[in-house]
Amino acid sequence: MTEQSAGSGARLPKNRMLVAVLSLGGVFLAFYLVAYNMGWTPPIPCGSGSCAAVQSSSYAWVGPVPVSVIGLAGYLALLVLAIAGLQERLAASRAVSFLLFGGALAGVLFSAYLTYLEAAVINAWCRYCVASAILITVVFAATIPEVKRMRKGSIR
Amino acid sequence: MKNFYIIIGGVAVIGVVVVAFALRGGGSAASVPVDLGDIGNQELVDLAQGMVYGDSDAPVTIMEFGNYQCGGCAQFASMVKPQVDLAYIETGQAKFVFHDFPMPSLPHSFLAARAVRCAGDQGRYFDYHDSVFRTQRQWSRPDSPVGHFNDLAEELGLDTGAFGDCLNSDRHADVVTANATLGQMLGVNSTPSIFVHHGSGRAMQLGGFQFIDIQQAVEAGPGN
Repeated sequence: MTEQSAGSGARLPKNRMLVAVLSLGGVFLAFYLVAYNMGWTPPIPCGSGSCAAVQSSSYAWVGPVPVSVIGLAGYLALLVLAIAGLQERLAASRAVSFLLFGGALAGVLFSAYLTYLEAAVINAWCRYCVASAILITVVFAATIPEVKRMRKGSIR
Repeated sequence: MKNFYIIIGGVAVIGVVVVAFALRGGGSAASVPVDLGDIGNQELVDLAQGMVYGDSDAPVTIMEFGNYQCGGCAQFASMVKPQVDLAYIETGQAKFVFHDFPMPSLPHSFLAARAVRCAGDQGRYFDYHDSVFRTQRQWSRPDSPVGHFNDLAEELGLDTGAFGDCLNSDRHADVVTANATLGQMLGVNSTPSIFVHHGSGRAMQLGGFQFIDIQQAVEAGPGN
């Protein structure tokens, strides 16, 4: 992968651009579900599936916090990290690589758990949750090059 | 990098537009009683119409002052009312009339009463009434139940646009307030409160809300 920034000579990781764009999409998706949990929305147009059953289940909350808020925070963190990691002085940072990969891994594992709950416990599907699960999986795949950078990069 | 910022800016704009479109019309639902102003008793009674289930000409009226967020009312709806339906409503001996009695201590109860009346605008009052009671535990959370009420409307096949417009307004707020005020005037201080009226004289407020209480009052006939 050629990662040359115009005029600067520094290598900017394109996978982080992809992570940033996808995470921004995730921010909007998660925000919509937060709005639903807070009652700011008209009906969730669910078509197939049962958004009400999933979003009203006890699994839609972790204590007093809606799962969608956790998702929103996660996508925001990945967005900020990815954009920070595109700055020249952090492009080779192992810390950014570690946080990006670790954050995406945590997100995909949490999402897998939620998908399991939909399939095996709640027995209902929310298409927005499925979309988020697919999105975080692609984000995770896009962070795999960070493993290589963690081995080679600077400690900063 | 310039292309990247253009792409991410484009995604941001699209996301804001889509979310703003999705959120349109939400969040302005009247959820507390309204000021009825200087209303006379007869006007109050006229405004505080309950919702009738069964033959409106049936000689006996079984009246409930109920609250959608109260556990006893949900129990009444799921366990007692079906027996009442079978014994008295379906046989034409009595009609059932539901009056809203929201309470400030149950903060979603007013909005729930309005939601059910919004469903009533589309001729599905008692279907929605049953759904709200059946799912009571799901929407009795600290957060707003508007989304849940909208989803129930969708599940019942209502016109969700019209339902949402109704819920996100102050429609029926005066009627629900009048129902609660009428209940207070009749001495209701807990829910469910059941009254039985035989068509003449005063309505009898029952001491309990089990089927046996209603059965005894109905079978006793007028004047007892």
